[in-house]
Amino acid sequence: MVAFLQLLGITVAVFFLIRVLPADPVARLVGFNASDEVYNQAEASLGLNQPLMKQFGLYFGFFPSEQTGLLQGDLGRSWVTNENVLDEIIRFFPVTLELITISFIVATLLALPLGMFSAIRPNGLVDRGVFVYGLMAGAQPEFWWGLLFIYVFFVVLGWAPAPLGQLGPLTEAPETVTGFLTIDSLIAGNWEVFVEALTHLWLPVMTLVLILSGPIIKMIRQNMLRVLESDFILYANSAGLPARTIAAYTFRAAFAPALTLVGILYGFMLGGAVLVEKVFSLGGLGQYSVRSILQFDYPAIQGVVLVITAFSLLIYLALDVFHAWMDPRIRT
Amino acid sequence: MTARQEHPAAAQRNILLWVGLAIVATSLLLAVFGEVLSPYSPVMPTGNISTPPSAQHWFGTDATGLDIFSRVISAPRTDVTIALAAAGLSLVAGSLIGLVAGFYRGSLSELIMRVSDVIQSFPVFILAMILVALSGRSTFNLVLALAFLYTPIFIRLTRAEVLSQRSRTYVQSARAIGASELRISFRHVLPNSLAPALIQASVVIGWGILLTAGLSFIGAGVRPPTPEWGLMISKGANSIILGEWWPSVFPGLAISLTVFGFAAVGNALERAYR
Repeated sequence: MVAFLQLLGITVAVFFLIRVLPADPVARLVGFNASDEVYNQAEASLGLNQPLMKQFGLYFGFFPSEQTGLLQGDLGRSWVTNENVLDEIIRFFPVTLELITISFIVATLLALPLGMFSAIRPNGLVDRGVFVYGLMAGAQPEFWWGLLFIYVFFVVLGWAPAPLGQLGPLTEAPETVTGFLTIDSLIAGNWEVFVEALTHLWLPVMTLVLILSGPIIKMIRQNMLRVLESDFILYANSAGLPARTIAAYTFRAAFAPALTLVGILYGFMLGGAVLVEKVFSLGGLGQYSVRSILQFDYPAIQGVVLVITAFSLLIYLALDVFHAWMDPRIRT
Repeated sequence: MTARQEHPAAAQRNILLWVGLAIVATSLLLAVFGEVLSPYSPVMPTGNISTPPSAQHWFGTDATGLDIFSRVISAPRTDVTIALAAAGLSLVAGSLIGLVAGFYRGSLSELIMRVSDVIQSFPVFILAMILVALSGRSTFNLVLALAFLYTPIFIRLTRAEVLSQRSRTYVQSARAIGASELRISFRHVLPNSLAPALIQASVVIGWGILLTAGLSFIGAGVRPPTPEWGLMISKGANSIILGEWWPSVFPGLAISLTVFGFAAVGNALERAYR
């Protein structure tokens, strides 16, 4: 319920925010030298000549006889491409989702052992290295790291393909089933396309992993430290349980909160991968949002924000369910 | 007793603090004197196009013949100033609002926190793009947008501290001698509640630099040919595939180091405070 209110709040806020800001989407569309007649016509066709509250009602679908809106599951049409916003987002969304999902899996697999090692020996060599890395990776220009990787691995070493999209220019994409290139190519049984999709993905994935691992390691380390000091581990130790069992206990207790952070970052990354997508020309949700914002495409902007927020909230919900499953104390 | 033996981890933290301070000081100095120190004008082409680093052009020149070293050291005037102004503005606004939200509890406080929630649950980069692109790409609008984004952070920090201070003995004594609530909140509680927000400010300046550069990189920040790190990287991105690494590597290195410096100082302050 709280999540739903938040979604509603953000949708309403965006709607008014983009209309309050002094941008002129009509002039952007028809050009600044257009005659008044053309201008007014364009304004009318976008519905911007109507009172603000009327526009609001239309967008939310309170007047379904005139125009379908959010209540009818219609996100409107893009002002620039005249396509259905929802269809466009469904096309762009999987690209981003594929990129960040693989990145998160790799980052978590990398962060787990590092975080655990640094927690087992606080102030040891691993811990100190991890500390500096975490401090650095917490805030870095990921678009620049992406370019560096392109320079090193494409220009100098030639190990990676040109950063110009998801596949090479001559490769035909497999039939779209899920929208995820890697999964679609497997469904089509096209092994070559699968490998090619992966070769185009590993550099952007590496860029994101570099940024993401920092906070995840830090989180795992803190949780491990806290759990290691807790009573039940002390008890397990004094009961003479083998180190392996204790490690498993600790891991289990420390993993759940770390996963929360991963979930939050995951929702955050949907909008945060914009720059990496741009550097590697991946054409995902991030590039879609850049395009719609720079072109003042209001329905598209609203759609992107709505979808990203809704998706983040879904993740939080999934996390809560997962927590209840992991930790019996939360179940009521 | 011989000289005090420091634990290697503590020594490392000390080094980090000093490195951080040095970077911060350099970036502040360059924000003021960067343009004066530049060997070439940061916005006038030198005539040498795309030359690699040399004695004449330390960091080389870019595709339109601008001297990269001059542009890299002139950029803090844009990047660091925007981040400083935004952090300062949001620090002032956030701590005042946070004081109100923490000290005078009620529906207003509740409303403030809910609005902060909504702002913070937005995807940051997308909200920043919307704010700057739709209100016009100017330095002033960038500052306002960043300040708007970061204010909730300071509201939260100050409010949490105010909540823990408001029932302390000194507040009760002030009330006992008849000080007004307004005086108590501003004269006594506010100064005692500022520390967490001030510490966070250093980190927020780093984020501000990063966001300014990112927005400019994507075409939603300051306009070319302003010497600005993100713009320079964006311009250099086209030539990096041709093997010309210097137009984008040097400004990126500058961002990376500067942001790291501010984060290191913030981290050291936080450890000292705890």
